[in-house]
Amino acid sequence: MRGAELTSVEEVLDRVRKELAEGRLPVEIFNSPAVFAAEQERLFRRAWLFLAHDSEIPEPGDYVLRNLAGNSVIVVRDEQGTVRCLLNMCRHRGNQVCKAAMGNASHFRCSYHGWTYANDGRLIGVPHIRTVYDGRLRRSDWNLLEVRTDSYQGLVFGCLDPGAPDLEEYLGGFQFYLDIYLRPGPGGTEVYAPPNQWVTETDWKICAENFAGDGYHTPVAHQFGFQLGYYASSASTHSQGYAVHFPHRGHGIGLGRTPGMTPFFGYPDEVVQGMAEALSPAQLELFKETRTAVSTVFPNLSLLIQPFSATPGEPGVRFCTMRLWQPIGVGRMQMLSWCLVPKDAPEAYKAEAYRAYTLAFGHGGMFEQDDFDNWSRVTAMAGNPAAQELSFPYLMGLDREPIADFPGPGVAVTPYMTETNFRNMWQTWLEYLERP
Amino acid sequence: MTSNGASEALDQERLPVELARRVEQFLFREAQLLDERRFEEWLALFCEDASYEAPLRITRERQVDSELSPTGRIFWDSKQTLGVRVQRLCSDFAWAEQPPSRTRHFVTNVRTWRADGVIQARCNLLVYRNRGEDPRADLYSADRMDELVEEGDDFRIRRRILVVDQANLTGNSLSVLL
Repeated sequence: MRGAELTSVEEVLDRVRKELAEGRLPVEIFNSPAVFAAEQERLFRRAWLFLAHDSEIPEPGDYVLRNLAGNSVIVVRDEQGTVRCLLNMCRHRGNQVCKAAMGNASHFRCSYHGWTYANDGRLIGVPHIRTVYDGRLRRSDWNLLEVRTDSYQGLVFGCLDPGAPDLEEYLGGFQFYLDIYLRPGPGGTEVYAPPNQWVTETDWKICAENFAGDGYHTPVAHQFGFQLGYYASSASTHSQGYAVHFPHRGHGIGLGRTPGMTPFFGYPDEVVQGMAEALSPAQLELFKETRTAVSTVFPNLSLLIQPFSATPGEPGVRFCTMRLWQPIGVGRMQMLSWCLVPKDAPEAYKAEAYRAYTLAFGHGGMFEQDDFDNWSRVTAMAGNPAAQELSFPYLMGLDREPIADFPGPGVAVTPYMTETNFRNMWQTWLEYLERP
Repeated sequence: MTSNGASEALDQERLPVELARRVEQFLFREAQLLDERRFEEWLALFCEDASYEAPLRITRERQVDSELSPTGRIFWDSKQTLGVRVQRLCSDFAWAEQPPSRTRHFVTNVRTWRADGVIQARCNLLVYRNRGEDPRADLYSADRMDELVEEGDDFRIRRRILVVDQANLTGNSLSVLL
C-alpha cells in the first residue's frame, strides 16, 4: 500500500489516463492532497467558474461576496450597471475592503488606513496623499485587482486565465440544454433567495459527477421517495431518457423522461406559455417529456429541475436548484445552493417552488441529506490507505453508439442510466490537469 | 420587530408564574421527544395549521435592520410536510439517519408572554448533534420563538420560527429537527 501523501500528481494522472480508456478510475483522486493542489493550480485557475446570478445584484452598488478558486472576491454592479469581479483586498496592506456577504455600496473603504475604492474598483481616496507620498503614488496604479467576467442568461462567471476562450466557446453548445433552467420565459430566471451555505467533508467531484446525470443512484439513495409514494416504480420512471455530453468541454446533462406524461407538468400555465415563447421548437420537443433535468457545467456548477410535492403521490410542482461545489481543502467543500424561479411566473408559484426546494434539496432537504451522507462517506473511504491502489468501474454504456438524429447538440446516448457523461467529465478533468 | 424578526418579550404581558412554568415544562417535554426520536408523538404536538420556519441568516453590515433574508428559509414546513419528514425518519430508508444522530436539545432562557391572546414562548436553543464514531459534534445555536395554543391542561404549537446563529452551517447533512 502506498501513502496518499507520498504520491505525486503525475503518477495519479498516469493511472487516470490508462484506466479511463478501459472504463475505470482510480479511487485516490477523490481524497488526495496532491490532486487537490493540482486542481487548484491547473483547473480552477483556468476554467470559467460560477460567481453569481444577475438577480442577486440587480441595482447599481449591489454586491455579493464570493469565492473564486480560493480568492475572496466582490461581485458588484457598478454605477454604470456593469458587473465586475474585484479581489476583496486593499492594495495598500491587504485588508479586506468588504466584510458582509451582500449589500449595497457606492464605495469600499479599507478599515486599516482608509484607502477608498469606487464600486468599479478604482482607487479614489488615499488619506494624506499629498503630504505623505510626495507625488510618488499614482492612484490609477493601485485599483482593486479585477477578474475577467462573462455571463450567460443571468449566470455570471469569472475566469482567472486571461488566455482562456470566452464563455460562449467554453460552454460550447451546452447553452441549448441550460435553457431548460434559464429560459422558462422571455424574462429568464431570478434567485428566490440568497443561497443556503454549509461546509461538508465531501470531495466536490463526487457531487459534480452525480449531477452530470446519475440516474442510477436515485432508486436506492432516495429509496424513501418510493417508500413514501413519491415515485410509482424505479423501472418506469428512472431508466428512460437521455444523457448528453460535450467532448473536451466536460459538461453533461441527464434528461430523465416519463413518456406520455403531461407535457411540462408541474409548471403553471403562464410558465408553459413563457417557454413556448422563449425556447426553440427543438428545445420544446425535447423538454416537454423531461421529468428530471440534472446537469453539471464543468467543473463545479450544477442545476436540477424536478417535480416535488408536499403530499406524496400528487403531481407536485417543478423546482429548480442551482448549486456550486467549491473545494476548500482536501476532501472538504463549501456548498452554496440556490433556488431559481421563472421571473415572469406568478408569485404563488415561486413560493410553492421554493418550499418544494427546501423540502427536497435545501440544506435540510430530504434528498440532500441522503446524498451528502453517502458522499461524505465515499470521501472518507477514498482517503483510506487500502483504497489507494483500487479503482472504480466506469463501464456503463461503454459500447453504446450515440443517437444519430438527436434533436439537440452534443453527444447523446440512451438510456439516462449510464456513465458516458462521467467518462467525458473525467477526460476533460484529465486534459486540464495534464497541462503543466 | 427586532433583528430576529420577533416581537420582543420584555415589555409584554407576562404569564402568571404557574402558567409560565407549565409552558416551560411543555417545551422541555417536546425536546425530550426529539432526543428520544419519538417523532410521531412530537408531530402530534403541532396544530393542524402549524408552520415551522427557519429563516436564512445572511452576514450583513451593522446598519442593516435585519440579518434575516425576507424570502430565504432553511426550513419552511407545514404540519403536512413535517409529517412527510417524520414518515421518512420512521422508514428504513432515511440513510442520513442510519445510524441515527444523537441529539440533545438544550432549551434555556425561556421567556413567556401573551400577545393578542396567544401564548408566546421565546427561548435560547442549543442542539448538540453527534453521529457514529466521529468525536466531533455539530452545534446549532438558535433563537426560537413559538406561538402556543392552550388545549385543556396542555399546549399545541401553532407557529415556530427558529433562527440559527450562523450564516454558514456545519453538518454533512442537516437531518435533525430543531
